[in-house]
Amino acid sequence: MLTKRRPKTPGTPLSDALRSVDAGGPGRRAFLKAAGVTAGGLAGLGALGGGMMRKAGADSMMPGVERVLRKNVCTHCSVGCTVVAEVQNGVWVQQEPGWDSPISQGTHCAKGASVRELVKGERRVKYPLKLVDGEWTRVSWEQAIDEIGARLLAIRDTYGPDSVFWLGSAKFSNEGAYLLRKFAAFWGTNNVDHQARICHSTTVAGVANTWGYGAMTNSYNDIQHSRCLVIIGGNPAEAHPVAMQHMLRAKERNRAPWIVIDPRFTRTAAHATEYVRIRPGTDIPVVWGLLWHIFQNGWEDKDYIARRVYGMDAIRAEVAKWTPDVVEQVSGVPAEQLLRVARAMAENKPATLIWCMGATQKTVGTANVRAFSILQLALGNIGVPGGGANIYRGHTNVQGATDMGLDVSTLPSYYGLAEGAWRHWARVWDVPYEYMLSRFGSKELMEAKGIPTTRWFDAALAEAGELDQPNPIRGLVVMGHGGNTVTRMPDMLKGMEKLDLLVVVDPHPTSFAAVRQRRDGSYILPACTQFETDGSRVASNRSVQWGQRVVDPIFESKDDYEIMYLLARRLGFADELFKHIKVNGTNPVPEDILREINRGCLSTGYTGQSPERLKLHMIYQHTFDRITMQATEGPLKGEYYGLPWPCWGHPEWRHPGSPVLYDTSKHVMEGGGTFRARFGIEREGETLLAEGSFSKGSEIEDGYPEFTMAVLRKLGWDAELTAEERRVIELIGGDNIDDVSWATDLSMGIIRIAIKHGCLPYGNAKARAVAWNLPDPVPVHREPIYSARPGLVGDFPSYDDRRDFRLPLLNHAVQKAALEADVPSKFPFIYTSGRLVEYEGGGEETRSNRWLAELQQSMFVEINTGDAERLGVREGEYVWVVSPEDGRAKIKALVTDRVGPGVVFLPFHFSGFWQGEDLRGQYPPGTDPFVLGEPANGVTTYGYDPVTCMQETKVTLCRIEKA
Amino acid sequence: MARMVFLCDGERCIECNACVTACKNEHEVPWGINRRRVVTLNDGRPGERSISMACMHCTDAPCAAVCPVDCFYRTDEGVVLHSKDLCIGCGYCFYACPFGAPQYPRATLFGSRGKMDKCTFCAGGPHADNSPEEYAAYGTNRLAEGKLPLCAEMCSTRALLAGDRDEVADIYRERSARRGYGSGAWGWSVAYTADRGGAYAPGGRALEEPERTS
Amino acid sequence: MTPFAPARLLPLVLLLTALLFALPAAAQSGPGAVAPGGGGGAPAQPGLEGQTPSPDVRSPADVPLYIPHDGRVQGRISIPDPALATLIQPGGRDWRGFRMDWLQWIGGVVILGALAALAVFYFWRGPITIERGRARRWVPRFNSIDRFAHWTTALGFIALMLSGLVLTFGRFVLIPIMGHGSFAPLADWSKYLHMASSVPFVLGLLLMLGLWIRDNIPTRADLIWLRQAGGLFSRHSVHPESGRFNAGQKGLFWLVVLGGLAMALTGYLLMTPFYYTGIAGMQIIHIIHALLAMVLTAVIFGHIYIGTVGMEGAFDAMGRGVVDENWAIEHHKGWYDEQCRAGRIIPGDRMPQAGDD
Repeated sequence: MLTKRRPKTPGTPLSDALRSVDAGGPGRRAFLKAAGVTAGGLAGLGALGGGMMRKAGADSMMPGVERVLRKNVCTHCSVGCTVVAEVQNGVWVQQEPGWDSPISQGTHCAKGASVRELVKGERRVKYPLKLVDGEWTRVSWEQAIDEIGARLLAIRDTYGPDSVFWLGSAKFSNEGAYLLRKFAAFWGTNNVDHQARICHSTTVAGVANTWGYGAMTNSYNDIQHSRCLVIIGGNPAEAHPVAMQHMLRAKERNRAPWIVIDPRFTRTAAHATEYVRIRPGTDIPVVWGLLWHIFQNGWEDKDYIARRVYGMDAIRAEVAKWTPDVVEQVSGVPAEQLLRVARAMAENKPATLIWCMGATQKTVGTANVRAFSILQLALGNIGVPGGGANIYRGHTNVQGATDMGLDVSTLPSYYGLAEGAWRHWARVWDVPYEYMLSRFGSKELMEAKGIPTTRWFDAALAEAGELDQPNPIRGLVVMGHGGNTVTRMPDMLKGMEKLDLLVVVDPHPTSFAAVRQRRDGSYILPACTQFETDGSRVASNRSVQWGQRVVDPIFESKDDYEIMYLLARRLGFADELFKHIKVNGTNPVPEDILREINRGCLSTGYTGQSPERLKLHMIYQHTFDRITMQATEGPLKGEYYGLPWPCWGHPEWRHPGSPVLYDTSKHVMEGGGTFRARFGIEREGETLLAEGSFSKGSEIEDGYPEFTMAVLRKLGWDAELTAEERRVIELIGGDNIDDVSWATDLSMGIIRIAIKHGCLPYGNAKARAVAWNLPDPVPVHREPIYSARPGLVGDFPSYDDRRDFRLPLLNHAVQKAALEADVPSKFPFIYTSGRLVEYEGGGEETRSNRWLAELQQSMFVEINTGDAERLGVREGEYVWVVSPEDGRAKIKALVTDRVGPGVVFLPFHFSGFWQGEDLRGQYPPGTDPFVLGEPANGVTTYGYDPVTCMQETKVTLCRIEKA
Repeated sequence: MARMVFLCDGERCIECNACVTACKNEHEVPWGINRRRVVTLNDGRPGERSISMACMHCTDAPCAAVCPVDCFYRTDEGVVLHSKDLCIGCGYCFYACPFGAPQYPRATLFGSRGKMDKCTFCAGGPHADNSPEEYAAYGTNRLAEGKLPLCAEMCSTRALLAGDRDEVADIYRERSARRGYGSGAWGWSVAYTADRGGAYAPGGRALEEPERTS
Repeated sequence: MTPFAPARLLPLVLLLTALLFALPAAAQSGPGAVAPGGGGGAPAQPGLEGQTPSPDVRSPADVPLYIPHDGRVQGRISIPDPALATLIQPGGRDWRGFRMDWLQWIGGVVILGALAALAVFYFWRGPITIERGRARRWVPRFNSIDRFAHWTTALGFIALMLSGLVLTFGRFVLIPIMGHGSFAPLADWSKYLHMASSVPFVLGLLLMLGLWIRDNIPTRADLIWLRQAGGLFSRHSVHPESGRFNAGQKGLFWLVVLGGLAMALTGYLLMTPFYYTGIAGMQIIHIIHALLAMVLTAVIFGHIYIGTVGMEGAFDAMGRGVVDENWAIEHHKGWYDEQCRAGRIIPGDRMPQAGDD
């Protein structure tokens, strides 16, 4: 051997570290502490010899220079992995594992391990840009804000505030999401939305209508308590890789069966003990088929149902129709396999049910979610550690942005849009209700759901009379959202042409900016990433994590808060918008925004998560248990990591957060809960309140309604209010203080007293198996609009046509027309879509990251081996994917058995090609992502969930032609 | 002295590619050089497994054996490193390596491939630990700081293990026993074992330390 | 062309053709490869068994750690580089065995053996002299183009040979002498020299082929020459009748031309890794390249010997382009007679020549 190096002695024995890594011990803190190695110097930098891999650039690590560690949260999926940044001289030079995070425990996926690139910003937008006669031209911030403001005001004057569509982002911090929702309110419209619409809006609607809150009930970590894992319509191995560690531990340590129900043999299915291939769009038949076996064999939890579930008998009646042979005929799942799965769930309790966009992005999304929830209720798996509905949200803060009401149908914290909600928020914002009203076109528009992001272009293309608002959309302001995320892109591009103004606020130009359709009236404002600002974000498990600014915004980019401040100032309502939010120069203070959230978001228990507490949680990450996520030592002992909401009351109460929703085995002050009493006390003579079920320590040992002053008075507990609390309540209630509820009492006195007596402020009800306010109170199977089985459409038609969200919704008409045009025989392949681990969302950001882009260098369509052989298509050859509506896309074939015969799969992260044409030249110079490809949504078709206007991305039809 | 190894647990690896981008990020590895990669076997069918592969730091490293300029060396911890000052970019190590670990900046015309690059087990090269020269040519030297390779440290499912051979093997065995199945460690027999005879059988003749096999 | 020629060339041509076609195939599929898209059913590789807990695994001691992978393991990878999709290629072991053992031995034996044989031959037979002594009359044999072709090829070959030997044996022979630090640049330059000198070598080869192919077509007379082994091994001067080139020279010609072109072909394939073959192909190509190199080196040693010290008057042919008349008569009677008939030589006439003493 050439040379022997001197022995190196690690700071701590490597073996200890490794063992603790695997066992979930204290991790590598010791290493980090011992790591302060400084050696060498910069003397040799000028004289690098051959074999150099890189030049020492401004963003390279400089050995020997002091490194500062900063903690933030990965900005990709909702797992919420801790990112530890090493910063030298204000430059982010290295990433270290976030060992202390109880959630990610040091790990990352491809995206998380490469987030540093976002702040190198190779392909980022570097300064404000304006489209002048088809050319992107550099402008100053002052000019850009001034011109955008003038154009917005012009639209407002001519067409009214509802003609501007504000599209926010699940990449925002809570503070950013809240601020944009508030901004839209002050602008005077409910046309404000974000990605939740197109990922889990149906989940939120479905589960909130079942048991109260629209969120994952348990946590990723809690899955380690599970004895059976069922994943339906989800591929966490690619979409939430870090969640897989908890799932794999459950599988290995509990010997838990792992069942994947999916049309595609995913990377997740590769780790399953049972893979169930279904025909896309038959989730409800499969779930009802499982329930059929469960009811047939008496495997349901009868006691649980009796005490905590309303309307299960109506479900039994529907389920009875779904005998094993009917299920097999409709879904393709063999009868014996379904029985095996039902038995596994029944015999291995608690079982957790995990779902994702395979279930939600459907015309029947809400119904799917409801069916899943009912399955878990029947087995008594909700409100139980190891059980639950573990809904993996998509983006880093999609849960938080949803909670912050960045949505067309509600104000922050799900207060809705009724007058009472507006009055509550006007009080929080300290502006007169009448001022808010004056900002809107009318009281009706103020209280009407806005136009959802899935259909903004329909609202842009519509004639004035076709909409339930005065005028079509004329201006679109997009912050952190790709243009290729909506279905029916050919129509969307037509909508782009109609816009007077398009403003893209984003670190990357996004697919909105790179289209041929526009030559003027477009602006790009460079926003920085969440790594360049402070703010909190909510992981899927409702844990709130504070992200610390790693570096200052690079280039000329600004953070979301500042951009919104500049716009508000130009539009003339900055003083009202930031009345109780401190603004340093033009920089609003995110901590102040969070404090306002704490004051107002009573209904979801967003009150205890003060910035100070959240920052402490980041510092003391290492004191939390790796499975229960409860701090076992240190100053936060007893609290749950990230204070998962609801975290009741003032921060000083030190409520620990609620690790498992609706868990009656814990006291409310320990994070326990009951199903929420949200839908009244009784229906048709039957009680909706829990019977004999209550959370630990509750003084009311039965169901009870949500707490209001009237309830307090009836219980005689109102005397316990302090004078100050009573003063606030009287101020709010005026003549009728009985109506002041726990959710509107800004003093939090009602909540305090409810909790003092061991009660949940929101009441104690049954979960609803029947949700009478939804189009299908009992979920029923409905064939996809473009169904491959025309024979079934008669029995299982799509929803009747209706008007909602200010637009007509024509599911049934389109389904009928498709059948009449004989679409199924002309378009014989079922189209489905999904995620790749390397990319995220519309993909502009990740495809601009060279480390990720190298791993997936082209768009592809997965075609089954047999189909490919029949079509004469070989791996890597181009094919045309042709949609029954206008779209077509030229894509490379990937021949694989991942998809079954007759099904093709497209990843949805690509854009920058359009129907075979390369659009690279349309990007502002230097900002085009490394990898471009045809958008999957170029070939998606009509279809929306009637409850949330979720688009249909997971099942339609298409044709494959050799290119 | 510890004997450093990698082990990829095929039952855990989900092809998330964190190891790949962690490596790229840590060492600023340019496009086209894949010190680490994830390969999926039996893709799309039951039995599908993904394996993360890089230099395995073999006991009897074939790359070192065939190098015409003898530029490889082994650290006391068993890490196989090479000197880019000596490397002539001939590609022999790539022919010999069972794992396809050696990489070339330009695998193009007329053999001007540049200096070979490969996984260093995050242990740098022959220059002084964490000197600018070492960082520029080989990337960071985490081992010298008492850290393990970043790919393994960041592995999303703890499929990729790195560290002392006995410890890694124990963790893997305990884990497999707990779950009741195991695939065997991919490539271990090729990289580390010696009991199969023949000069160039895995491990071969030139073992420096006794092997444990099961 | 005599009927012999194709038959004689056939095996060599076939071999080269077969190799050309076989290489890409070999590169693509090795024994035991797990094909990315092939048949279903039971996994072909150990380690791909099910994930159901097995009663056989009760304690850590039951866990198999070392699973043999004798075959090539091929999978799928999203990066568009098929080389990366090979997980394990045990073929490297065989190549290593060849490179480090077989080649050293074969190379050593062939090259040193050739040198030894020449030395023995020299001492046994001594230089082959011109029996009748020099006529001091010069017969033109190779014009300047001929000589340019020869020397271009020759210099190219020598550069290739020396640089190749440095790369092959330098680690064992030179590093102990000069150390790693000095050897590495030498090897690096040898690498570049090796690649650069292939250009004159190949050009020279092609030129020689064009110039001399007519005179190198085998004839019936060659059989006689071969039967008598060119008279090399008879103590007394035996000179089988031959034309411009005797059978030995023809053999050399074809060996150099075909062997050289095969060397060039394999060499260029190695210079363009992964363009035409995978790793397995490159291993095979390298083996062919190295073995041929050793053979050619030995042959060329013989050629150099006979062209210099081994035979009186031989060097003049390529050195000055002319040969002594008596040398021509003794060694290439046929050619000499032909030259006379063609009037290029007038017997007995004194040829005006430079270098005449």
